[in-house]
Amino acid sequence: MQIYLPIAEISVNMFVIFGMGGAVGFLSGLFGIGGGFLLTPLLIFSGIPPAVAVATVTTQIVASSSSGVLAYWRRGAIDTKMATVLLIAGIVGSAIGAWLFKILQSLGQLDVVISLSYVTFLGAIGSLMLVESIGAIRRRRTGTGRVARLPGQHNWIHGLPFKMRFRQSKLYVSVIPILALGSGIGFLGTVLGIGGGFMMVPALIYLLRMPTSIVVGTSLMQILFTMAAATILHAMTTQTIDIVLALLLMVGGVIGAQFGARMGQKLRGDQLRLLLALLVLSVGVRFAVDLLVTPDEFFSIAVKGGAGT
Amino acid sequence: MSGRWFFLVASLALALRPVPATAEELVTSLSSSEVLIESNFTGAQIVIFGQVDRDKQTVSRPGPYDLAVVLRGPDQIVTTRRKDRLLGLWVNREAETFYEVPSFYVMSSTRPPTEMGHRNMLEKYGIGINYLNLPISPQSEVQVSERDDFRDAFLRLRRKQGVYSEQAGKVDFLTESLFRTTISLPATTPVGVYSVDTFLLHEGAMLASQTKALTVAKTGFEQAAFDLAHQRPALYGILAVITAVFTGWLAGVIFRKD
Repeated sequence: MQIYLPIAEISVNMFVIFGMGGAVGFLSGLFGIGGGFLLTPLLIFSGIPPAVAVATVTTQIVASSSSGVLAYWRRGAIDTKMATVLLIAGIVGSAIGAWLFKILQSLGQLDVVISLSYVTFLGAIGSLMLVESIGAIRRRRTGTGRVARLPGQHNWIHGLPFKMRFRQSKLYVSVIPILALGSGIGFLGTVLGIGGGFMMVPALIYLLRMPTSIVVGTSLMQILFTMAAATILHAMTTQTIDIVLALLLMVGGVIGAQFGARMGQKLRGDQLRLLLALLVLSVGVRFAVDLLVTPDEFFSIAVKGGAGT
Repeated sequence: MSGRWFFLVASLALALRPVPATAEELVTSLSSSEVLIESNFTGAQIVIFGQVDRDKQTVSRPGPYDLAVVLRGPDQIVTTRRKDRLLGLWVNREAETFYEVPSFYVMSSTRPPTEMGHRNMLEKYGIGINYLNLPISPQSEVQVSERDDFRDAFLRLRRKQGVYSEQAGKVDFLTESLFRTTISLPATTPVGVYSVDTFLLHEGAMLASQTKALTVAKTGFEQAAFDLAHQRPALYGILAVITAVFTGWLAGVIFRKD
């Protein structure tokens, strides 16, 4: 069944979009990620204008993260103070991101920046996760346990000034790395249409040494508010959020996520991380191929003014 | 659609109208002067028909008439970019911007444009994709020798998108003077006011022409959503967030275990 998207101004097959939302939602529930880095390229590949795809996915992430936040909130597994600091930084990052997005869009270099960023971030994070998960699986097979971290062990992050106390996370750390993390991920999220959960979770665990039980809820809350801000900023600067497209993706996504979450409970943590690493890497490779292989069509056209803008 | 009935009634009306004298006169009509885009819009068909009027005083001409019907969408400014290698990566480098190019263009005719007349005439009236006037900025940085590459690429990509097309031999003469052609508007049809120009030609000479307007517009929810996004962007963004949070909350409630 075809449905007309009022902002993208094209007709799409409703079930194809719904299915994409569902499939990405399934993976997002399975791995505990937003899934924006998969959904945005999928939408662009299926003919949605890139600007509309990026902006609309931020709205979809608001929906998928809000159901997670509610669940963690009920269990009290959210460090609100940490989330607030991350959030303030995130909003600043988003604003810079939306501003840059508009400039790049007018310069015609948006696609290249998006592709390059995907290759860099997905490649780096995918490789790190792959190495880490293979190591974990190997250790499990050979039976040697991970060397336990000594209590009170510090890294360079803990030597920075402007310290702040976070009771729920049992942390007393400098706000500088937290602000950097929040704004960096807010910025990338707005430019690339990703929530950044797959960057935020490892950063909070390994850099800030936050307890794992609090990390996912806190990260989801930060993502929820940052993406809500990104949605409003996109609406105001680029006007490319398609509410019909967002709604189709949301409904497919939240249903898929529930099934993914159930499936995820049956797999081991290291197996999940290995699968996610392979997924992240393959999306990165797909973008790298586009940049490196001689294209079939050298030309592209973009409407700059007049009808339909 | 009741296009057939409409056509019959309209052709009857055309046949019954008083006929003046001397040169040929062209009378055309559209099956509909308005195309409304709703949520289930997958494209539309427009039937253009008309009559070549002539009487005893009209100069007698050997051979058949040629007809060209040109449907043009509202103008756009379109940038065509070319990828080049930069540090081993394929990125957009040179660009040519075309001003006042039609957002949509279909030419339906009795014969291919090259057979209907000379280049000057075809270019003057914009009959045929290859005879379209594509103005560029005087400050264009593209080398003169490469401008044709950009022009060709632009036309090729527009054809590929399905917004530029030519249908030679698709104007049917039902009687000696009554003709009809059908033009399809795809799902990607841009909105705006279109012009439908009908040209009557004979051995390369322009005998008569007529222009009709066709409006393509979003309606109902589609128009309201578009207006809100552009006129009240902050409100639109807040509504999008509320919708998203509500959907997420609803999913949590529906799927909550026990």
